Amino acid sequence: MNFKTENLTRNIKFKAFVGFAIILFFFKLFFGSNDSVIFRVLNEVFVILTAAFFILYMFDFIRAKKINPLALIINIGILNVIIFFLIIFSDPILNWIFGNVKERLSKPDLVISLISFLYGLLFISSVSYIFFTFKELYFLKQKKNVSIYFNTMIIFFLAASFASVLNPYPDLHYIKTTFIIISIVLIIINSIRISWIAFLVKKEKVSLLVFSVIIFVLFIVNIANSSESHLLSNFSTSLDQFMNLMMIYGIIYFGILFFTTLFHLPTAEAYDRKTQEISSLQYFSKLITQVLDFKELSETVTEIAVKVCNSDASWIIWTENNETKPLAKKNIGIVDTNLISGYILSKIKKDSESKTVLLNLDKFEDKGKLSEKFNSIAVSPIKTHNEIKGYLVAAKKNDFIFDDEDKSAMDTFSDYASIAIENSRLLEESIEKERLEKEFDVAREIQRKILPSKNPELECLSISSVFIPAFEVGGDYYDFFELSENKFGFVIADVSGKGISAAFIMAELKGIFESLSKIIETPKEILVKANEILHRTLDRKNFVSAAYGVIDCKKETLSISRAGHCPVLLIRNNIVQNIRPSGIGLGLNFTDHFVNTLDEIQINLEEDDLIVLYTDGITEAKNINLDDFGSIEFEKILLENCDKHVDEISNKVMREVTLFSQNISQHDDITLVILKWKQKLNLDGENKWQNSAPQLKTKVK
Amino acid sequence: MAEFSTSVEDKGEVSTIYLKGFLDAHTAPTLENTFSGLVDNGKYSIVVNFKDLSYISSAGLGVFMAFIEKVRENEGDIKLSVMSDKVFNIFDLLGFPLLYEIFKTEEEAVNKFRENKNLGS
Repeated sequence: MNFKTENLTRNIKFKAFVGFAIILFFFKLFFGSNDSVIFRVLNEVFVILTAAFFILYMFDFIRAKKINPLALIINIGILNVIIFFLIIFSDPILNWIFGNVKERLSKPDLVISLISFLYGLLFISSVSYIFFTFKELYFLKQKKNVSIYFNTMIIFFLAASFASVLNPYPDLHYIKTTFIIISIVLIIINSIRISWIAFLVKKEKVSLLVFSVIIFVLFIVNIANSSESHLLSNFSTSLDQFMNLMMIYGIIYFGILFFTTLFHLPTAEAYDRKTQEISSLQYFSKLITQVLDFKELSETVTEIAVKVCNSDASWIIWTENNETKPLAKKNIGIVDTNLISGYILSKIKKDSESKTVLLNLDKFEDKGKLSEKFNSIAVSPIKTHNEIKGYLVAAKKNDFIFDDEDKSAMDTFSDYASIAIENSRLLEESIEKERLEKEFDVAREIQRKILPSKNPELECLSISSVFIPAFEVGGDYYDFFELSENKFGFVIADVSGKGISAAFIMAELKGIFESLSKIIETPKEILVKANEILHRTLDRKNFVSAAYGVIDCKKETLSISRAGHCPVLLIRNNIVQNIRPSGIGLGLNFTDHFVNTLDEIQINLEEDDLIVLYTDGITEAKNINLDDFGSIEFEKILLENCDKHVDEISNKVMREVTLFSQNISQHDDITLVILKWKQKLNLDGENKWQNSAPQLKTKVK
Repeated sequence: MAEFSTSVEDKGEVSTIYLKGFLDAHTAPTLENTFSGLVDNGKYSIVVNFKDLSYISSAGLGVFMAFIEKVRENEGDIKLSVMSDKVFNIFDLLGFPLLYEIFKTEEEAVNKFRENKNLGS
């Protein structure tokens, strides 16, 4: 049924109720004193119809609400109190106002009819509501379809009520009596089926016990009083009868309810715990996949731990970076936590415990210092990768102890907690890793943009350069500068440290050397100036090794200064010379000491001289045994290939380094720059150097 | 991952830090902590023994630079000793011998502190 039609039928029921109520009123007004059978039957029919439509209307109205059995019980109690007052006070008040009511009722006028009618309506609604509530209670948590029993009972209720029309004829009383007896039997049968009590928690069961006694008594009082109300019996005998039946139903139902609840009470706690355990574990297994935040997770763990083993307090003793501290304290203060945690750690043999351990604080010498009377402690290890990372602790106060059930609950629960905590740790790690990877991506991008995208083409030199960034970005930097028509400058540098901070220093170096090379032409001066500039920005921990050289094509000379960098190699006549003028790394010293110790060397170049610049990424390339590639091997390869083209030489070197370091990740940037001096006279033919593609290669993992 | 550890031994006025393993960007904080521990306790006469150090990276070298200024301001020094050729070569390339005193043995370094002390007093 959709909403609209539902609304419509509800409307019709309401209109029917109002309609019959009005008919009833006028009927009462005009024929109220008439005692003939037909009128009495008609009276009862109208009352029953009015009540029936009111009940039907109520069904729709209240069905939408969520039903709580305890609330229904309280409803019945309140209605009983109302009925109690209606019965007790109606006759005395009316007598006080109108004199003898009994007499006046036999000859009703408009006022007394109206009062009697309203009074009747109040009864109709109260009794209907009680009936409705009983119906809800009856069908609550029923597993079988039991409506047939209930409907049969209603039919006999109605029959008994209607049979009260025959009250004036004592010969026919047996009909009513039969119906009433059958009704009572059905009431007893139906009242035994109370299945909703089991679903209440212990507290609710206790209050239900109290309520059921009170309401039981109220029903008895009301049924005893009801015969005194002339107003009601005058209004409608069947309503009076129906109310009596409801009262009987109430007495029987609440009597049975009292005893059922009483029998349920001893097992209530166990039942509560089982349901709690189930719901906690369900909640927790859901949590395992959800919680991202470690703190939040640990709070939830202790919160559930309290419920699972019915303890008063719970917390986690967590060990990280050799530091042990309590986490996620639940229902316990910091002082108590620290005291008890210390005691636990002194009592528990680390690594040996895999199950929950129960401890008693009787022998705890600092027990007096505790602000609350904790006595029993359950401790479960939290393990990740078979290593105990911490303990889940639950504590009970006073004389309460942890039984076997609590212990096994703690066992199971700490296993769950371990998995959840492990998951959250792994997630945190992978997020961190991803963040670092992003950072390295940025650093590599900066580096790629800073390094020359292609080698300069010069008449007097052939140039090859290779750069392979390490995953963590080492901070290698090299660059070429065409200083003037005849002069060519180059620089190679290695920033200490790795990652984005190294990349930023590299970017700064690029700016420094780019601008200094335009105004200063001697390597030493450039390095001295660069050191001064770096003074302002470099951390004490950071420094830069660099070598700067200038080749004069006309004078055929190489001037070079070295600030802490690997030596520049000169290969001439099959001999490798280490050009290693004195000099401290940039950023290590900012005094005259730096200037005084920095040398500049000048070399006259000869045909086919090979000038090799590199960073320690080559010589310190590691193999699987963590041996260095080494400068001897490096020089050997250079010597063997020195008569080849620069690109071939660098390819050869890189191939050997890669072979050496295979199966191991490259831990530092690798930079190799090779310059080959050519005499100007031999220009023809060899002048068309291959312009090698951008030299940046990404390492294949 | 290669491991790195430090240990400290006090010999009179002089504290010696023993390095072991691989000193790089990842393990440098360990050494930093060791240095701060000494400096915070007012121990400024420090000898570093490199005997068991198998590798040092540029980030590892940076640690020495981070503390030398503070130590020297307090009339102390960091003296380096017992380096393998490989480790010495790395220090040497960067010009560290121009900035630090490097000794063949730990005793020489410790004695140097004592001599200076005697000269001073």
